[in-house]
Amino acid sequence: MADKIKITIDGKEISVQKGSYLLDAVKKTGVTVPTLCHHKDLTPTGTCRLCLCEVEVRGRRKLVTSCNYPVREEIEVYTNSEPVVNHRKILAEMYLGRWPNVPAIKYVAEMCGITESRFTSNLTDENPQACILCGRCVRACREFALEKIIDFAGRGIKRHLTMPFGEVDPHCIGCTACAFVCPTGAIEIVDDLNHPLDPQMIRDHGMKVNAEMAVLDKDQCRMREVGTANIVDVMDAYDLLPVHNYQFGTHPETWRINSKMLKARYFTQGQADGCWKGCSMACAKTIDDFELKTGPYRGQKVCVDGPEYETAAGAANMGCFDADFLAEFNFYCDTYGIDTISAATTIAFVMESFEAGAITTEHTGGLELHFGATNETLELLHQMADGRGFGVDVGQGIRWLKQKWVKEYGADPDFLHDIGMESKGLETSEYVCKESLAQQAGYGMAIKGPQHDEAWLIFMDMVNNQIPTFEDKAEALHYFPLWRTWFGLMGLCKLCWNDVVPADNYATDEPHKIPEHVDNYFKFFEGMTGIELDESKMLDQSARVYNLQRVMCRMLGYGAREDDHMPYRAMGPVTVKEYESRAERYDKQLKEIIGVDPDGKITEERVGILRRYREDQYEKVMDAVYIRRGWTRNGVPKIERLRELGIDLPELVVIVEKDQE
Amino acid sequence: MCRPKMSQRSFTESAGRVMSKILMKDLASISTRINAEFKQYKAMLMVCTGTGCVAAKGFDVRDALSRAIRERGLQDTFLVVGTGCNGFCAMGPIVVVQPEGIFYQKVSEEDIPEIVAQHLIGGEPVERLMHRDPVSGAINRTMDEIKFFSKQQLIALRNKGLIDPENIDHYIARGGYESIRNVLESVSPDEVIKEILTSAIRGRGGGGFPAGVKWQSAKEAALERKETPYIVCNADEGDPGAFMDRSIIETDPHTVIEGMMIGAYAIGAKEGFVYLRKEYPLALVRLQKAIDDARACGLLGKSIMGSEFEFDIHIHRGAGAFVCGESTALMASMSGQAGEPRAKYVHNVEYGYRDKPTVLNNVETWANIPVIMDKGARWFASIGTGDVTDNPWGGSSGTKVFSLVGDINNTGLVEVPMGVTLRDIIYDIGGGILNGRAFKAVQTGGPSGGCVPAEKLDMPIDFDSLTEAGSMMGSGGMIVMDDRTCMVDIARYFVSFLMDESCGKCTPCREGLFSLYRTLTRICNGEGREGDIEFLEELAKTVNETSLCQLGGTAGNPVLSTIRYFREEYEEHIRNRRCPAGHCKALISYRISEGNCTGCTLCAKQCPVDAIAGEPKKIHVIDQDTCIKCGICYEVCRFDAVEVQ
Ligand SMILES: Cc1cc2nc3c(=O)[nH]c(=O)nc-3n(C[C@H](O)[C@H](O)[C@H](O)COP(=O)(O)O)c2cc1C
Ligand code: SF4
Ligand code: SF4
Ligand code: SF4
Ligand code: SF4
Ligand code: SF4
Ligand code: FES
Ligand code: FES
Repeated sequence: MADKIKITIDGKEISVQKGSYLLDAVKKTGVTVPTLCHHKDLTPTGTCRLCLCEVEVRGRRKLVTSCNYPVREEIEVYTNSEPVVNHRKILAEMYLGRWPNVPAIKYVAEMCGITESRFTSNLTDENPQACILCGRCVRACREFALEKIIDFAGRGIKRHLTMPFGEVDPHCIGCTACAFVCPTGAIEIVDDLNHPLDPQMIRDHGMKVNAEMAVLDKDQCRMREVGTANIVDVMDAYDLLPVHNYQFGTHPETWRINSKMLKARYFTQGQADGCWKGCSMACAKTIDDFELKTGPYRGQKVCVDGPEYETAAGAANMGCFDADFLAEFNFYCDTYGIDTISAATTIAFVMESFEAGAITTEHTGGLELHFGATNETLELLHQMADGRGFGVDVGQGIRWLKQKWVKEYGADPDFLHDIGMESKGLETSEYVCKESLAQQAGYGMAIKGPQHDEAWLIFMDMVNNQIPTFEDKAEALHYFPLWRTWFGLMGLCKLCWNDVVPADNYATDEPHKIPEHVDNYFKFFEGMTGIELDESKMLDQSARVYNLQRVMCRMLGYGAREDDHMPYRAMGPVTVKEYESRAERYDKQLKEIIGVDPDGKITEERVGILRRYREDQYEKVMDAVYIRRGWTRNGVPKIERLRELGIDLPELVVIVEKDQE
Repeated sequence: MCRPKMSQRSFTESAGRVMSKILMKDLASISTRINAEFKQYKAMLMVCTGTGCVAAKGFDVRDALSRAIRERGLQDTFLVVGTGCNGFCAMGPIVVVQPEGIFYQKVSEEDIPEIVAQHLIGGEPVERLMHRDPVSGAINRTMDEIKFFSKQQLIALRNKGLIDPENIDHYIARGGYESIRNVLESVSPDEVIKEILTSAIRGRGGGGFPAGVKWQSAKEAALERKETPYIVCNADEGDPGAFMDRSIIETDPHTVIEGMMIGAYAIGAKEGFVYLRKEYPLALVRLQKAIDDARACGLLGKSIMGSEFEFDIHIHRGAGAFVCGESTALMASMSGQAGEPRAKYVHNVEYGYRDKPTVLNNVETWANIPVIMDKGARWFASIGTGDVTDNPWGGSSGTKVFSLVGDINNTGLVEVPMGVTLRDIIYDIGGGILNGRAFKAVQTGGPSGGCVPAEKLDMPIDFDSLTEAGSMMGSGGMIVMDDRTCMVDIARYFVSFLMDESCGKCTPCREGLFSLYRTLTRICNGEGREGDIEFLEELAKTVNETSLCQLGGTAGNPVLSTIRYFREEYEEHIRNRRCPAGHCKALISYRISEGNCTGCTLCAKQCPVDAIAGEPKKIHVIDQDTCIKCGICYEVCRFDAVEVQ
């Protein structure tokens, strides 16, 4: 809907977005009309009637309230015609008669040229902080907090707000959104539980996020509507959805488990749900009354908490494009206390090994573990939880399985290492990172193994090409892990950093950092502690912990260069089939980037050339990152760096001493 | 075009009666069969069992009549039928003997033996139960002779008094479901819309918006957005004293169903809803039964009458507030939200119920649809006022049902062609003003309508003339007022009703009505001030023009219209502290005129506060300090000795 419409406001022509509200256009022309019930981040309801304008549509004039009048055709607007002025005067007089001392009303009355009122009555309320029934709080409670705590009761002149002030409704989450939007100060905040130093600072910045969720989310990530499941559709579209143990990035049957399907047929809450009641993003979703077909609870109707993106993508990774399966897998993983990602990635590895003949039904206890084998997968999951059969082995994870199969079944170790998607013993999370060098390193160099909560750089690197050089990538792999570690340390959720972004984020210097949101977090910190923060102070705070973690890893035998590698499946096509599935792209890289003409070369050769190139690139990026992080070429923090951070404690120095160059 | 798919005729049990699925080709023969059955009876005894007559023991009358007939073994000669409201409720319970049309009123159980013996068996109708013309006093033997009925033209109410609303066969016998059959067989959806556009029928629920235009917009929106639209019937009827919609449903529920079916077919809806006022238990029972029966007969549900057309209707019970009848509030209420209106800048035809394109029409509007499709749009358009050939806004076509109440002889429900005059309705049909008093004004259009004075008695009534006169058609309420009515107090009464019913969401309606009410009350109390009238006018205009919905948007009318036509009455209150109609208590006093008082003591005995002193046969005196101006003495004195000043 990029349609623009030309309209005239008081004789001035202006072009506006079709469907946008007239008040925005009026403001753009520099005209001020009085408003009371309008708030820029709330759905306009047009109840105070003060923003009245006269509009001429196809020759007919009518009065409309500009705040909620959508411009849909060519119109002429008069913001100050005689009827408008006269009616506004009377409206202002009504307000002044009832609430003579409220500053917001005095201001509006003055704008309308009113000082006296004929509407004084027994209902006249002298309180300067009286509630003027604008309804902003009611809308904020619904739209910001997704609650319905505060509302109007009583008809006509008896209309009033139902939550008695000074008395806290036990269901009120105390988000203070209502008080924030109130134009008169009628809502008093009675308790700031954690005694922050500057609650107003926290509130002001928190409300910005609430407002963005209320206004922008529906056109951005739809977190309230479908939660992280929205990513399934996006990843499939960008060839990034792990399919068949990360061999492929898209699948024709993704629609069976994507957000449209989940929303239409599965999610039952019809509204947003959250980790905690106050969350305005509320991305968690639920399937109610789901009837289980297998396992100990077979036949029972249960409530499934999810599925989220990673769980759905895990199903794709196992080739199980079946939302019933997905819900059941999700439920049992949760119930058994099994992480859905590790389970799915391990089983996907088992399936590929099974299909490749590395293991057979002899080893699986008879389970035909092909991709897409939904029943067998669920059986395997039950076995894992029960400590039965093949489940006992699979439950140990990929690293353990590789060792056993090589040693006991004589499987090909190189193949297993290439396709077993683990690093540092942890299974990889559910994104295909073959075409993003930065993300390969983001996974490989993450302290606790290949999960993406240190860095998710795929779009930045591969789609938007914002970090082209090794230095750029190293900078990203310095900054983002520290930044993400920092808000993790603060106990703050990551989603309100980048799962909604300010409308004008693209126009900032560093859109990938979302500077305005980073600043929100700094202000939360400052509001709580009184300590002012900027990027370098934040990075220092975080780097202390990050380096300490790395040193501890070193102590445990994991924190060095050799541990930071990823299996080749994460970096490029392992098999001929995989190469051929995207031959055009790979051939182009051979020709244009590596400078080798693929013509006349068989696929095996091409796979080899590409592999050598990519592995070399990976080594280079590691070098660059270690330098940026202040670590040795072997990936161990330099003592200088520890000193700089003030953590050159003898216990730590002892551990890293032998690694210094 | 809808092609019928032939399917096996199946049988379903419903309400103890075997209901068979009706296919298109069978409808005519079913109707012929039922009519032949009726003809076997010598007479059909139509006992009114509308809400009014039921309140006057109409069910007892019906049961007594059935019993009496059975006791005499006449059950194969006479058929007793309980019908819906005849519109003449003040005369209830009503019994009409058809086909002659002999009309009995105020029938009680005790009258039954006489009717059976003298009329049914003896062939001599019972004169004492017949209607007398309120003006001439002449006996009216048949319905046709009664002016109340003879001057009406029935479309929406065509089946009133003639069928048992709880029996689908009766509706079919009168040609029911023929229109939808014909439409399914040979009229395309677009042709239906064109037909409704040509008929120029304007909504009967208040706004007077052309139904065809509404249907077309909804259909276009649905096509553009690839959505299935909804059909809704507005049966909230919150106007005090109005009961046309209730009557239509209680009298002929199937016509509403058939109308909705035609609408659904035209716009492509699969589901319809009736938003039924909470306080209408009898209408609920009858409508639910009608829907169940239609479903059992394959007239609702999938593959209707064997065609591919699919449609079903659900009843949604109202939330009990006047404003819930407003279209956007109604949709909100149906969706389980507070019944408050929203701005109509985006219409229901685009985003209505569940945000889908929705057509909302009033009960009476729907009831007209089958007849329009049956008799043709041109026939319908030829009834009424103005020229609607190219433009439905050009006039008002068809008929309108009014509920006639107040200081009038024949109160009741009447259906007249658009364009008849107020005089026709009030004097011919209504039989004139009660007790021979003078007509002062008629309030039309429900609480937020306006008062039309005597000088407008010859105005032809239609949507536009009423609006021009400062009132409106509204849903068709008509309250007739005689010369003892104070127009300031009347304005105050309606404003007070609207003030109580205002949802309070928007400022002008919430604050403005309160202020109008305070000012009017002050004037009635004799505390009016110079400038009050101008303030009322200014404020009423702002309320009308700036309110969010049409409750507030018309709420100024009672004030504006009474000032327009009865300004001097306001001035009398304010300047001379006088209520010319002798109604406003603060401005009147009761006195006993020495010349007329006979000292009969009646007034003194009746006075609730013992304010009247006097000995028998001596002139009585009212102590003004004690008198509470209840008016009882004025009413009871048989010698016109008590005067109002
Ligand atoms: C305050 C208010 C109350 C209303 N109540 C009713 C009602 O009870 N029944 C009705 O049919 N229309 C009522 N209306 C009109 C409806 O909003 C709507 O115009 C109508 O149902 C549309 O149907 P129609 O075009 O067939 O008349 C009311 C309107 C207002 C403003
Ligand atoms: S504090 Fe939050 S939850 Fe409580 S009433 Fe206000 S907006 Fe609603
Ligand atoms: S409390 Fe404040 S925000 Fe809520 S309705 Fe009253 S004035 Fe408006
Ligand atoms: S005009 Fe009256 S009834 Fe309508 S929205 Fe406003 S306050 Fe409510
Ligand atoms: S009722 Fe009339 S006549 Fe009788 S005492 Fe009273 S005023 Fe006199
Ligand atoms: S008006 Fe009523 S209170 Fe007054 S004198 Fe007559 S009966 Fe008594
Ligand atoms: S600001 Fe538009 S109606 Fe209140
Ligand atoms: S109920 Fe019998 S005439 Fe109205």
